[in-house]
Amino acid sequence: MESTSPNALADLVRRAQKGDEDAQRELIVSYQHRVAGFVYAMTGRSDYVEDLSQQVFIKMIRALDRLQAPAQFESWLFRLARNTCIDQLRRQKLRRIFLPFGEEHENIPEPAGAVNTEELDALRHALAQLRPQDRALLALVQEGRSHAEIADVLSTSVAAVKARLHRAREHLREHYQSPHET
Amino acid sequence: MRASIFASITNPHMKPEDHAWRALNDHAAAQLRGGFADRVLRVAHGPDPAAWRQLQEYAAAQLRPSFAERVVRAARQLPGIPSLLEQFFFSVGTAAVCAIAVSFFHAHTDQLEDERNLARWHQIAMVAIDEDAGR
Repeated sequence: MESTSPNALADLVRRAQKGDEDAQRELIVSYQHRVAGFVYAMTGRSDYVEDLSQQVFIKMIRALDRLQAPAQFESWLFRLARNTCIDQLRRQKLRRIFLPFGEEHENIPEPAGAVNTEELDALRHALAQLRPQDRALLALVQEGRSHAEIADVLSTSVAAVKARLHRAREHLREHYQSPHET
Repeated sequence: MRASIFASITNPHMKPEDHAWRALNDHAAAQLRGGFADRVLRVAHGPDPAAWRQLQEYAAAQLRPSFAERVVRAARQLPGIPSLLEQFFFSVGTAAVCAIAVSFFHAHTDQLEDERNLARWHQIAMVAIDEDAGR
């Protein structure tokens, strides 16, 4: 979608808002890789990627008519993605509290080396050490969101975003090593 | 390491304290695991954009084919989201049903209580009449 001009994107969003399924499909195809990447960065689980990405896009379709400014579509979509992932992580945490012996497989982190390269393994390991809010922050920056947009997504100030981002980057750097090395 | 210490001891040009320093350095260096420099550089620089790109590509590969088609189909099958007005009316309706249920229950318990009280008064009155008649 990076190559699409803002006007073309706004037009596409307007068509999708009117219920044009082709436009909705086009939006999904354009953003599915980025949303999948965001979901994976947030959860660190390959088996959540498809389900959570689907949830994000279903929410997108159902709430699209409430989006006031089509130009804000991208930050709005990533806000949906962030909230969906945070909700999932909260539910998972609650389930672990109330059902400590239930669905054990849910608590098993993805094994090291399950992914293809050392860099990716190291990044995955480092992200897993951060708080979900910090993961979201870093993933939003990787998505090319500006500080102002992130502040809007997180309902906070730009100064707070900068400070949190600095800390999150420091933490990521500290933990950025292959799980085999720890 | 022993060999290097031995070599330094046997080296007549080396000062005695140099032996100890050499030994200390050798011992410290032996504590570093292989790939130390790479690890330091990685921590110093943090993940590069390529690692993030790999993460996104890996995640994207987890989506099964025809993902968009499945999402559109699933969204179509779900019931529509009620509008704010519909939600408001639903809330008002729920509140009204609750209020009616509470007032009905209250009236019913009041009536039962009244009947019980009347029955008791009646009993007391009968006892009083009986006692009066007995006197």
